[in-house]
Amino acid sequence: MVAAAEPGISAQQPKEKVDPIRWLKENLFSTWYNVILTALGLYIIYLVAAGLYQWGIADAVWVAETRRECLDKNPNGACWAGVFAWFEGFIYGRYPLDERWRINFGVIVLVLWMVPLWLPRVQGKIGIAASVVAFYPFFAGYLFMGGDKSLFLQVMVSIAIVSFIGVIVHAVIGVTSGGSLARTLLRLTGVSGAGDKLQRNLLIIAALAAVAIAFMAQAQWEVPTVSWVRWGGLFLTLVISGIGITTALPAGIVLALGRRSQLPVIRVLCTTFIEVFRSVPLITILFMATTMFPLFLPEGFTLNKLVQVIVAVCLFAACYMAEIVRGGLQAIPKGQYEAAHAMGLGYWRMMGFIIMPQALKFMIPNIVGNLIGLLKDTTLVTIIGLFDILNMIQAASQDVPWRGLHKEPMFVGALIFFIICFSMSKYSQHLERKLNTDHR
Amino acid sequence: MKLVKFAAAFAAAAGMLAVGTTGASAESTLEIVKKRDILRCQVGKPSPGFYNLDAQGNWYGSDVAVCQAIAAAVLGDKNKLEIQSVSTQARFTAMANGESDVLSRTTTWTLLRDTQLGLDFTAINFYDGQGFMVPKGSGIKSALELKGATVCVLTGTTTELNLADYNRKNNLKIQAVTFEDNNVRDDTYLQGGCDAITNDKSGLASSKAKFANPGEHVILPETISKEPLGPVVRQNDSQWMDIVKWTVYALINAEELGINSKNVDEMRKNPPNPSVGRMLGAEGNLEKGLGLSKDWAYNVIKQVGNYGEVYEAYMGGGKLGIGIDRAGSPNALWTQGGLQYSPPFR
Repeated sequence: MVAAAEPGISAQQPKEKVDPIRWLKENLFSTWYNVILTALGLYIIYLVAAGLYQWGIADAVWVAETRRECLDKNPNGACWAGVFAWFEGFIYGRYPLDERWRINFGVIVLVLWMVPLWLPRVQGKIGIAASVVAFYPFFAGYLFMGGDKSLFLQVMVSIAIVSFIGVIVHAVIGVTSGGSLARTLLRLTGVSGAGDKLQRNLLIIAALAAVAIAFMAQAQWEVPTVSWVRWGGLFLTLVISGIGITTALPAGIVLALGRRSQLPVIRVLCTTFIEVFRSVPLITILFMATTMFPLFLPEGFTLNKLVQVIVAVCLFAACYMAEIVRGGLQAIPKGQYEAAHAMGLGYWRMMGFIIMPQALKFMIPNIVGNLIGLLKDTTLVTIIGLFDILNMIQAASQDVPWRGLHKEPMFVGALIFFIICFSMSKYSQHLERKLNTDHR
Repeated sequence: MKLVKFAAAFAAAAGMLAVGTTGASAESTLEIVKKRDILRCQVGKPSPGFYNLDAQGNWYGSDVAVCQAIAAAVLGDKNKLEIQSVSTQARFTAMANGESDVLSRTTTWTLLRDTQLGLDFTAINFYDGQGFMVPKGSGIKSALELKGATVCVLTGTTTELNLADYNRKNNLKIQAVTFEDNNVRDDTYLQGGCDAITNDKSGLASSKAKFANPGEHVILPETISKEPLGPVVRQNDSQWMDIVKWTVYALINAEELGINSKNVDEMRKNPPNPSVGRMLGAEGNLEKGLGLSKDWAYNVIKQVGNYGEVYEAYMGGGKLGIGIDRAGSPNALWTQGGLQYSPPFR
């Protein structure tokens, strides 16, 4: 855990000017065996790179109708034409062609909603993050599934629309003037001098009015149903792992606190839950959830497989997260608890203000490592017949016009996973540096 | 992958236990399907010829055509269909727990499966059989010459067991190398990792067609197993079984009677003979016992085509076909020396 502090220290040291030739001499050619190792390493890199270049670029076929055509043009190279033909399939799975804009639109809204979190001048980031987690799923859920909206969903979608627009306006105000949406609203209506309570009530009324307007507006809005059966590709992978990731952390924190609780019932319940789900492989949980669970249900009652999978993934991820959180809590010295108590803080305030902020900081590498693992684990859903990105890639190799095309799609799939996981990793390193406030 | 097998065995065992409770259901499958207005038809992971996904995410293939035919017969529209892709390990459980209405996926009809899994096999829509493929350069002309050879085979299917039987019977000392994925198996074979591949002959033909030089490989003449493939339903629902069975027969019979998707309208208006008229619902009331509409067979042929059309499109030389010759094979009509034979529609 101390290692987490190191980048922070080096960042504060003045950068030395590096002489490339001296650097090479010191690091790669310092002794005779280092010279040999360097040469060997370079040779291996050359072999791999040259092979990849020959296969992937020099001999590759970029335009073809079928794999046979690719083979006729050049049997030794990659057949990227097939990957182009199937690429949308890898991303959207079996989502209907005419409805794919909905996925794009949903992603754009999510990105726009989250951008303010990275803008330094915007205030109230916790509120923004909470609004994304609480309301975006309803908006996205309806956008992706479509069909009739229940009253509850209508209300939630309206709230989501209002919070989205609110966050965007708030961010624009924040970036341009450093203010907040609430204060600007109050100033514009000329009541910024009124009492706190009045101000708050006015804001609530304004929010309710906005929701009411949004409710009227969204009543007209309807998109056709797209059954979960047609969800697939990278989209499905991201839906499952996205929901898993967002629930894992809060649920993990709750479970970890429960396991360390003084109350025996809560402690035993949490411990049992964690141990049971953590001791069973994910694939077994998925199998149980989708093939065994329906056996216990009444006849003709079929569950949505996707929901079962998501619930299974969430439970599984939460248990792992709980143990990571518990590890982080363990690392906080007892003095911190005692100091918090001495200041008269209760349990929740002690956890919220003193313990958790310190513990979570320690846990970032572990948490992100776990989340990356979760993202990759979701490819196991192929085994129960969901067409996530891996299953689409395998389907491409069986599609008659492109039969046998499997190296190229796999390569692309690996690349996509690498990009996602590597950016997660990079972001976590950035977070570590940013949150690093101690100078041990 | 041990875990997968364990989980599958566990699930299958539970599925068998559950048969007792689900077998005596209050509602028949026909009622459930009609009420739902959509047919749930189970296939497997994409497999050339039988069930495939295209780049737009649509299913196609000969087993998918059977699903479409059943949907057309029961619901009047071949698109009122939900294709479920289920792993080989979970296929029978998904039938037992009521998830799928019918299973239409390269599943070999065996006595054990027909009697002990709570399932009924209906009709055979494809006769397959296991064979071997070797490089032409090896000079091998018969499977009996494979003495001491290494043979690549997919694991977890009857293919592996058939190979073991054949090996023992002929004392060939074959070494089996098992694979989970047919692309990896084929690559290993192409790179000389094994002397031969064994698989159902349809699969071999399909593998061969995807090689860079198909001409350099030969499929040996021996067929070492019988693999009758066809749709499967839950046991104790004879009406649903009749519907599925006679839908397959409708495809075959239509070809025999010369009805196809193009001439079916004309044939129904002016039936050339009573057999055609009866089948298409222009006369008689064949549909009564099945509990379907009068034009069920018409819908099947109009929307899906007859057996020959389906074969040509997905198994034969069509654009999406895997190019297996039908003439002289068991899948030719009985009138042409094959085994495809439908009981009379009367």
